[in-house]
Amino acid sequence: MLRRLPILLLLLATFAPAAWSEGPSVRAGHVWIRQAPPGVSVLAGYFSIENLTDKPLILTSVKSPDFGTVEMHESLSQGGTESMRQVGEVGIPALGSVEFKPGGYHVMLMQPKKNLFAGDLVSLTLAFSDGSELAILAPVRRDPPQR
Amino acid sequence: MKSKTLLAYAGLCILAIAGGLLAGYLTFHPRHPRPVTAAVLLHEAKPLPEFTLSDTAGQGFTRASLLGHWSLLYFGYTHCPDACPTTLSELDHMQGQLRSVPATDKPAVYFISVDPQRDDLALLRNYALYFNPAFIGATGSVESLKALTAPLGVDFSYDPADRKGDYGVNHSTFVVLVDPEAREVALFTPPLQPKRMAADYLAILKYYGENT
Repeated sequence: MLRRLPILLLLLATFAPAAWSEGPSVRAGHVWIRQAPPGVSVLAGYFSIENLTDKPLILTSVKSPDFGTVEMHESLSQGGTESMRQVGEVGIPALGSVEFKPGGYHVMLMQPKKNLFAGDLVSLTLAFSDGSELAILAPVRRDPPQR
Repeated sequence: MKSKTLLAYAGLCILAIAGGLLAGYLTFHPRHPRPVTAAVLLHEAKPLPEFTLSDTAGQGFTRASLLGHWSLLYFGYTHCPDACPTTLSELDHMQGQLRSVPATDKPAVYFISVDPQRDDLALLRNYALYFNPAFIGATGSVESLKALTAPLGVDFSYDPADRKGDYGVNHSTFVVLVDPEAREVALFTPPLQPKRMAADYLAILKYYGENT
């Protein structure tokens, strides 16, 4: 039984945080990555982050061992034209939240190290201005999760 | 007994007045009310210009390709991780809403890449098929693209490339509805809602069927 414990823990670690992750000061939910259509090597990741502290926090970076480059971007719509700009950081108000969602903030995941398909899990590490980090597992999906 | 008869007469009168009003309304306002909720319906259908692109069905994609059936045109690029997949997946869901509609009334969906430098037809074919087996990809030179996009009010421009050669493309986000006479009749602007789009599409079809 004890022999199997590491496997059990690994399984727990793999599946539990995908839906809901607890960090010391932040909580992430609605995490998902849009599966890339064939021939495309840029994926977009989405999540919501809740600041559980009474001080404003800044999301300073997102990293993933599965991608060469990860950047935070924002889709901007001006006069019916969509453009994207890279953002260095995203503020989360005290006891507030920020949503990364289609048509707004998203994580650009570039240079994937392997092919990713719906059902795969990608680990993301979010770093914050207070020095804390939040590790989350993002499921790859074809369509947004139902809310 | 008497009051019941009176009530019945009153009821009949109200019905007659309502019917008269409705008949009058339909007679004098045949083109009203505007049938749509989510779409922007053009006051007058605008004929598309001549243009020459290539499509993933292996043919020249021209104005003539749009004759004889309804079409939805969306302009984007495959290296677009956010807006384009979102729109194409919503267009697929809209097609799902229209599954009980006769095939002749279904719109053909065209994904037109405004990034010909990176998007060739082979890539576009797989890309379009991924969202829906009936979707058609198309592209052409920047100059040929502009012949179609400029009159439609569709914009596109390129951001400077980063050190890895990657660049973003700024592009219009609306979807253009084209009638079987190759005329622009309506626009759908995001956020697209597949159910409302499908309902509006059918309303516009009916409206054009009755008023042309």
